[in-house]
Amino acid sequence: MNVLGIDTSTPASAVCVLRADGEEYEVVPSLAELTGPPGHARELMPRVAEVIERSGLSYDELDAVAVGVGPGSFTGLRIGIATARALASAAGIEVRPVSSLHALAEGIDAPVRAPLIDARRGELFAAIVGPKGTLAEPFVAPPEQVAERIRSVDPTALAAGDGSLRFRGLFEAAGVRVADGGSSAHVVRALHVCRLASGVRPVAPEAVVPNYLRAPDARPAST
Amino acid sequence: MILGIETSCDDTCAAVVGADGAIHSNVVASQGLLHSRYGGVVPEIASRRHLELIDAVISDALERADIDLSGVGTVAVTQGPGLIGALLVGVSAAKALAAARSLPLAPVDHLAGHVLASTLGRSPIKPPFLALVASGGHTFIARVDSPPEYRMLGRTLDDAAGEAFDKGARLLGLPYPGGPELDRLAREGDALAFDFPRSLPGSGLDFSFSGLKTALLYTVRDIGPEEAKRRAADLAASYQRAIVDALLGRTREALEQAGAPRRLAIGGGVAANSELRSGAERLAGELGVALWVPPFELCTDNAAMIAGVARFMEPIAYPGYLALDASARAA
Ligand SMILES: [Zn+2]
Repeated sequence: MNVLGIDTSTPASAVCVLRADGEEYEVVPSLAELTGPPGHARELMPRVAEVIERSGLSYDELDAVAVGVGPGSFTGLRIGIATARALASAAGIEVRPVSSLHALAEGIDAPVRAPLIDARRGELFAAIVGPKGTLAEPFVAPPEQVAERIRSVDPTALAAGDGSLRFRGLFEAAGVRVADGGSSAHVVRALHVCRLASGVRPVAPEAVVPNYLRAPDARPAST
Repeated sequence: MILGIETSCDDTCAAVVGADGAIHSNVVASQGLLHSRYGGVVPEIASRRHLELIDAVISDALERADIDLSGVGTVAVTQGPGLIGALLVGVSAAKALAAARSLPLAPVDHLAGHVLASTLGRSPIKPPFLALVASGGHTFIARVDSPPEYRMLGRTLDDAAGEAFDKGARLLGLPYPGGPELDRLAREGDALAFDFPRSLPGSGLDFSFSGLKTALLYTVRDIGPEEAKRRAADLAASYQRAIVDALLGRTREALEQAGAPRRLAIGGGVAANSELRSGAERLAGELGVALWVPPFELCTDNAAMIAGVARFMEPIAYPGYLALDASARAA
């Protein structure tokens, strides 16, 4: 299966082509992109075109588009999902929606992993993943509660992601381990989105929506 | 064929337009009711809804035009102005669709869409012409000599005319979106019953509607809620007359300027207002100016007008648009 993977749940645009023969063509975002302003509209499609070209495939030769559906930045997720859906529609193929937190967990080198994505407004999107599967389904909570939950599920868990970088001091003080500052474990990698895609049921492009995990702000636009 | 996509506010729109300006499909999924309970458009809710609807709306537009993507030569999309999160849904979908087929892409100015709406259809307006555009988001008079370019001659300095309608309707206790409700109620009232200001700021062609809204607020307060309820139709009629007078007063000035075109187009959602339509007809008749009023579905936000603008543009060839961003503000 030739898979194009996309993730835009954090400010970084991650893309990858995983060819049926196992060859990988990936753009791994830098750690700096996690803390910079999101630039998905400007960065995502040029990166998609780049990995498609490097892979030697054409859009028509893709068998699936896999996309991280969050939780994460609302606007980021919509750009990634709108892009994935349109690419899949144009190629007449299906979309495989992947949890961005699970993709993040794939890159953490520990038996029990706590992927943490910055949810803004002082909260985090979090999950806990063990060697045999999910120990805590994705949830949103303030960092103190997330730290408490991780410690109660498994104190050896290793946390990573832009959410863990933002609250590193708080987590370490609470006895939760956080991956090294320079580690690429903090980045949601599209290679992992591609890999997880094989275990996900494909769905019609128009049926793929973000896992927001949070209700919208119901304030009218100031006009 | 041009596939147009428009998601700048609360309507998810796609359309297919021919190079000759013929409209093969024009699909609008309106979110109006969804936002009515909040008394206005909620950006995050609008963006979520756009994403849910966009693929179905595009498929629908292609299907109704009886083509598939291979029949599309150019993708046109609203780049701005509008709600940034809403715009990004359309821009992302448009770029990906175009890229997957190596099609050229035309990033379109939403306001040009309204200005040039009358260039579509069977009897298109020809430049040079003046356009009065009034909607919930924008109110301005523009001159068109060579589309897609247009020159803004005057614009609102505060509220848009459609906003003035909606805010007035709210003061009169009418449900959101109040513009059409106010129009209906006004037909039963006396437009001369109350004297509201027609504030025309400065000597240019600009508009101002915030004073009018305040005047209505004071009037309702002065006569009291009982009386305001009893005379709601008179208040609506007088208030509407003030808005229409202001719009057409400036339009008259623009048309009376030396060298002004002898053709006038009106557009934007407020062009659906019955009093503005009849007033514009009277004005055009009096000045000997030819008038174009597009059908309702080309006045409110729609993607046919966006695809229509692309006919006058040199689209960006693949892959030049991959990094294209949406823009909340007017170019
Ligand atoms: Zn508009």
